Amino acid sequence: MRKTTLLSFLLMIVSCAFVFAQDKTISGKVTSSEDGSALPGVSVTVKGTTKGVTTDGSGVYKISAPANGVLQFSFIGFTNEQVAVNNRTIVDVQLKSSDNELSEVVVTGYGGAMSKRDLTGSISKVKGQDIENAPIQSFDRALQGRAAGVQIISANGVPGGVVQVRVRGVGSISAGTTPLYIVDGVQLNSNNSSSFTSSNPLNFLNPNDIESIEVLKDAAAAAIYGSQAANGVILVTTKRGKAGKTNITFNYNTGIVEQFKQLDVLNTQEWIQVRAEALWNQARATNPAAEFRTSLTSALTSIRLSGTLTDAEIAALPTYDWQKESFKTGTSSTYGLTMQGGNDKTTFYLSGGFDRQDANLKNVDFERGTMKVTLGHKVSPKLNVDFQTNLSTATSRGQFGGPGGGSFLGAAAFSGSLMIPSNPIYNEDGSYFGTPATGGTAGILNQNIIMVTDLNTIKATINQAVSNLSATYKITKDLIFKPFVGIDYRIIKGFNYTDPRTPDAFNVRGRAQTQFDENINFITNATLNYSKEIGKNRFGGLVGVEYRSDVREGFSSQSENFPTPEFKYPSSAANPISIGGFWTGSRKNAAFANLRYEYGGKYLISAIARYDGSSRFGRNNRYALFPSISGSWIISEESFLKGSNVLNLAKLRLSYGSTGNDQIGDFPSLGLFGGGFAYNSLAGMAPTGLSNPDLKWERNVTLNLGFDLAFFNDRISLSADLFKRDSKDLLLFQPVPITSGFSSIAKNVGSMTNKGIEIEFGVVPVKTDKLTWRSDFNFTYIDNKVTKLYDGITPLATPDSIIALPGDTRFAVGYPAFSIFSFQYAGVNPATGRPIWLDANGNPTYRVQNPRDLKFFGSNQSKFYGGWTNNVSYKGFELDVLVQYDYGRREFNNQNAFLSEAGGRAFNVLQDVYDRRWQKPGDITDVPRPYNGNTELNGSGNFTGTRMLQDASYIRLKQVTLTYNLPSAWAKAIKMQNLKVYAQGFNLLTLTNWEGYDAEFINLGSGNNGVIPLSRNYIGGIQFTF
Amino acid sequence: MKKYNFLKYYVLSLVLLSTSCENMLEVKPRQSIDSATALTTSDAISGAINGVYDRLQSTNLYGRDFVAIPEALSDNGRATNKSGRLNAEFNNQAGAHFGNWGTAYIAINQVNLIIDALPSVKDMTQAAKDAAEGECKFLRALLYFDLMRAYAYDPGAEVPQYNRGGVPLMLTGVIDPSQITFPERATVKAVYDQMYKDLTDAIAKIPAARKNIVYASQGAAQALFSRIALYNKDYATAVKQSTDGLASGVGRFVDNAGYVQAWRVAQHPESMFEVIYTTPENIGVNLSLQTTYTTLVELGNRARTGGFGDLVPTANLLAALESEKEGTRVLDIRRQLYELGTAGRGTAEIECTKFLGRSGAVNLDNVPVIRFSELYFNRAEANYMLGNEADALRDLNIVRTRAGLPARTADLKGQALLDEILKQRRLEFAFEGQRWFDLKRRGQDIVKLPLTIPFTDFRILAQIPTGEINNNPKLRQNFGY
Repeated sequence: MRKTTLLSFLLMIVSCAFVFAQDKTISGKVTSSEDGSALPGVSVTVKGTTKGVTTDGSGVYKISAPANGVLQFSFIGFTNEQVAVNNRTIVDVQLKSSDNELSEVVVTGYGGAMSKRDLTGSISKVKGQDIENAPIQSFDRALQGRAAGVQIISANGVPGGVVQVRVRGVGSISAGTTPLYIVDGVQLNSNNSSSFTSSNPLNFLNPNDIESIEVLKDAAAAAIYGSQAANGVILVTTKRGKAGKTNITFNYNTGIVEQFKQLDVLNTQEWIQVRAEALWNQARATNPAAEFRTSLTSALTSIRLSGTLTDAEIAALPTYDWQKESFKTGTSSTYGLTMQGGNDKTTFYLSGGFDRQDANLKNVDFERGTMKVTLGHKVSPKLNVDFQTNLSTATSRGQFGGPGGGSFLGAAAFSGSLMIPSNPIYNEDGSYFGTPATGGTAGILNQNIIMVTDLNTIKATINQAVSNLSATYKITKDLIFKPFVGIDYRIIKGFNYTDPRTPDAFNVRGRAQTQFDENINFITNATLNYSKEIGKNRFGGLVGVEYRSDVREGFSSQSENFPTPEFKYPSSAANPISIGGFWTGSRKNAAFANLRYEYGGKYLISAIARYDGSSRFGRNNRYALFPSISGSWIISEESFLKGSNVLNLAKLRLSYGSTGNDQIGDFPSLGLFGGGFAYNSLAGMAPTGLSNPDLKWERNVTLNLGFDLAFFNDRISLSADLFKRDSKDLLLFQPVPITSGFSSIAKNVGSMTNKGIEIEFGVVPVKTDKLTWRSDFNFTYIDNKVTKLYDGITPLATPDSIIALPGDTRFAVGYPAFSIFSFQYAGVNPATGRPIWLDANGNPTYRVQNPRDLKFFGSNQSKFYGGWTNNVSYKGFELDVLVQYDYGRREFNNQNAFLSEAGGRAFNVLQDVYDRRWQKPGDITDVPRPYNGNTELNGSGNFTGTRMLQDASYIRLKQVTLTYNLPSAWAKAIKMQNLKVYAQGFNLLTLTNWEGYDAEFINLGSGNNGVIPLSRNYIGGIQFTF
Repeated sequence: MKKYNFLKYYVLSLVLLSTSCENMLEVKPRQSIDSATALTTSDAISGAINGVYDRLQSTNLYGRDFVAIPEALSDNGRATNKSGRLNAEFNNQAGAHFGNWGTAYIAINQVNLIIDALPSVKDMTQAAKDAAEGECKFLRALLYFDLMRAYAYDPGAEVPQYNRGGVPLMLTGVIDPSQITFPERATVKAVYDQMYKDLTDAIAKIPAARKNIVYASQGAAQALFSRIALYNKDYATAVKQSTDGLASGVGRFVDNAGYVQAWRVAQHPESMFEVIYTTPENIGVNLSLQTTYTTLVELGNRARTGGFGDLVPTANLLAALESEKEGTRVLDIRRQLYELGTAGRGTAEIECTKFLGRSGAVNLDNVPVIRFSELYFNRAEANYMLGNEADALRDLNIVRTRAGLPARTADLKGQALLDEILKQRRLEFAFEGQRWFDLKRRGQDIVKLPLTIPFTDFRILAQIPTGEINNNPKLRQNFGY
């Protein structure tokens, strides 16, 4: 059925006839209207034919065309021009640069590109030059604050670390929420599979090689990617060569990396005082006559000091700053060399880069080398072949206590502030204090974290190749056939060595863990693109088929007992503990079509249908159709508005369609027996899941209403989108009685809604010959709600009978996803110093009842977010400023909870908590009296409820870049085409009420405990082109 | 034009690939197999049986809980708060109890699937099938017994107004969602009848030649049967199964000279069934029995701290171990299995050293489930209850003299004899997971510090997981939860 449709479409197209007129040869030169410089690589076509050439290195072209024909000139970054030949043989043309957003070309997927004016869907674009030289390793971080509807949160401040990207909110509970990334047509595997470090699957791409990034947000834009598009699609186009003189550009920058802030913690004397108070308050709870000195003695002995120290001796004790020793100012540097050029047949772009960056924490860094080749060759006037390849190797060193590297208690970012300050870091002879052989350090954190971070090795190297080869064949002037193959190949080598001198491996004499994963992600597709103009009618069509297979295979090992710490590899180990190996994979195939029709440059309509199959789904639901329809009306083209001096664009867009989410693991529908259940060294197996042949796609249905306005010759522009994204058939693990031998079954039962507004507002307040100031503001508001979970959930025994997933109140019907249900902290009883909470009826209580007293306290989803970019250029100077904001996200500050225990356990304490602690009846404060164990008699624990729930909203001066371009005459005098110097500051200033290191982090299970915070970076650099 | 023919072939092959062959989307996992056809060969059956033993290693079965929690809940163990673990169990907080419900039923389903699959396996002889079935039934009886001990009253020791019966009896395998049922709790009697049946089959079907103590054997089944019969107050059966077990050739009685050393080797020579742990199965520094019981890494070396030592003997238990002396010398050799730990995790305590990395690595110990000596205790108690005091005394003296204590004469009789049997049972199996159950099956109060738990307290029984009650309306929660 599908086959016949496709064939008949082919036949229809082939049967089209076309006519040739009498031609003559025309030549000319294309220059830029700004500086009169020649423009090489401009595409020149004869309107209504397939004939086309590009200008050579000096901007000159030669083409044969009818004497009454029309030439079309197009070049990225410039406004398209149409010039009538009018019997001339020389046609020189000046192109105007298109800083005008609405005429800018937008990439739309499957090689498509159209002017923003012709869009019917919702797409945000970020230009490569805006993110150039930023101290980031993966381009996703560069999108932060720059695209409406796209929320970027760095999981941590590890260079090259994990980033959470959400396009138009979160639309799933148990499946993935990552958008589909496509680099030059290659759909990436965005699994983040390094076991020991925080690593980002996008690190392979040097951000300086990026030409543009497009984010497809609504169904009209994204449905062409069907089952993978529910979380949005991010298209990355890399730089290509331009015909003309060969340019060589060298770029170098270097900078420093520093911590935003240190937390102010107690010195030894204050800590002993507060610890003694905590012990004394506990003792007095049962024995009012308890002596303070007894508690002071216990406090001293608990950190291995003599219990008989006098006040004077205590006052003389030294304090050691573990935090300062853990965090440090690091450096960064980037080297880049690119060469690009070509002629009218072949163009090339070659680039090599090396960059390294430290984190703000000791022994954590990132190092990368990249190489890129892009070749374009015109085999014949009808056939173009393109080849691109990106190679990279990136090695990062991770934090002990990070993912897979031990518990966060050993993480320096966590323990630096929490170590008992009386512990020296080094002995007098410079050796480490508190080795396991000497009994460790005093306090709960009983290992010398500096020693641990110095001696252990935690690293991962990711080698990756992302390549594609494609052909573009013009079957007729209207019909283009494009076959494409791409591959995303990745090897991850992880290594985690726990040194035998550190406590975690002291008893086993060293432990080595290794990881070796290989991922082969292959994609091929073929598309036919048709376009035809008949009078005022423009038709466009795209049909295609696609196949993708994605296979991951890996080995891991763990071994123990090494002769000396110099031996680190498994073959030196006496005890091989375990060897692991896995294989997983999926295959997808699809057929898709897009039809477009435009009438008179005013009315556009576009329909997309994609039929997708995936091996991940149940036998009964293996295929699904994802359709969408969209239209737009350019009102300003209507006669009653056309030619207005004020309003130069008014456009209305409407789209409706459906997309799917297939990020549910590779084999969720199969009932399986798994291995790994060995007994007595003999292999065993056991059932690992119930089969569910009905398992199917999670489906998103999106309605989008948008309008675009431009006033005063594009000096003011406004785009706004209203959307409603309904996510249905969400996969939930519905519990079954475990007496059946299974705990749950995966079912497509949940639903969720995101409603939102996106606004992009641009204004050019100043535009003179010398001075231009452009300012863009974007804003996104999202209202997310879980609308359905499965039937039969027993409501929580709260006054409003919340229906939440059992054991997981983050998801409750009628509330946003990732909701926070907690107990309302109400400060301290001034009479007793005990913490109080409000119960379900709003009455103060010492002891809350779970779940009765649970109340809703927002969610960790932001209410609104966005950014504000400014670009000022004056003569050769350019200033770019980005302010980024995120409002309404709430998170528990887990790390500060430890730091607020006020001597309840042997952790150091925040100065602010110490200063504001309750000390005597009548004290009005929200910090309870210190109490050993942090739980008063017959009371709830001191950190129950919302006490540490904080507002993670912030506004950040994200990026300031100042560039000076040497005037071209001066540059030429030193035999250069271009020379620029630049300085950049990143994360310069943050306004927030968050009390920890930084509000921006992702809770990956341990909250912000041990999360390496973001850094402030300063960079200076130079770039010159020959 | 000809040179572009490849394009035609390319598009043709793509169209064919994507549209005509659905098989392309059949991707099979490679480290798992389809459950529908998993259990069709002899190798698969052996693998699946190993998969059941593997569950026994879980920390909520024999990895920790069924050894340590009966000590924490009862009067044998005291929590030290060094890691905070087992504090709640020691304080008998509501809900701090056994949590084997899920693991046990998952394992029972594995057993049921194997028993269901056996008749259609082609490459196994009937004898091999019988042996596999017997082994499975031993495991099923053990799993049900542990469920019953945790979640239900033992026969004849109930608080009638709180008694909500036994546990759901699942006897057929579930592999498909359509097979899921919502069972109610079976009566205590029905579950005991099933365990009797399973053990009778196990004894009949497991070949007598199988004597490897890390697997089911006739001897293991007889030993388990004797214990279950004792719990069931079916004393004649208890005597018979004990006697059969003692003659089974599985496990052996260790004499006084070898007694302490028996706890220093990987396999306890008395074990009639033992759960073995190999190097990769090390439970580690948080939950292993070694870390639970002691801070020591090796005997007598107080300079080197390993685990937490979360649960140590109560003063009451130590006093009982030291109750018989010659001058100042403690006679009871079992006292030698307790020694002063390190100060590395806080105050040094006298700790139990029965689990000390006996399998050659720190935190790696095999766990004896039933020891040969228990059969003497089971038979002594059963004989006493049947009125055969002389037989009871004879068995008691076997274990007393082995412990280094003088034999008692026929003067010891009546309640005093029973008390002595129970006292020796406590001392013999301290920190091996029997104490709580021995008190509970006899309907005794748990006399401990800081407070006594009367037998009528609801905390005698464990809480059925609340999720399970929510998912299955027919299932009744234990009283009080």
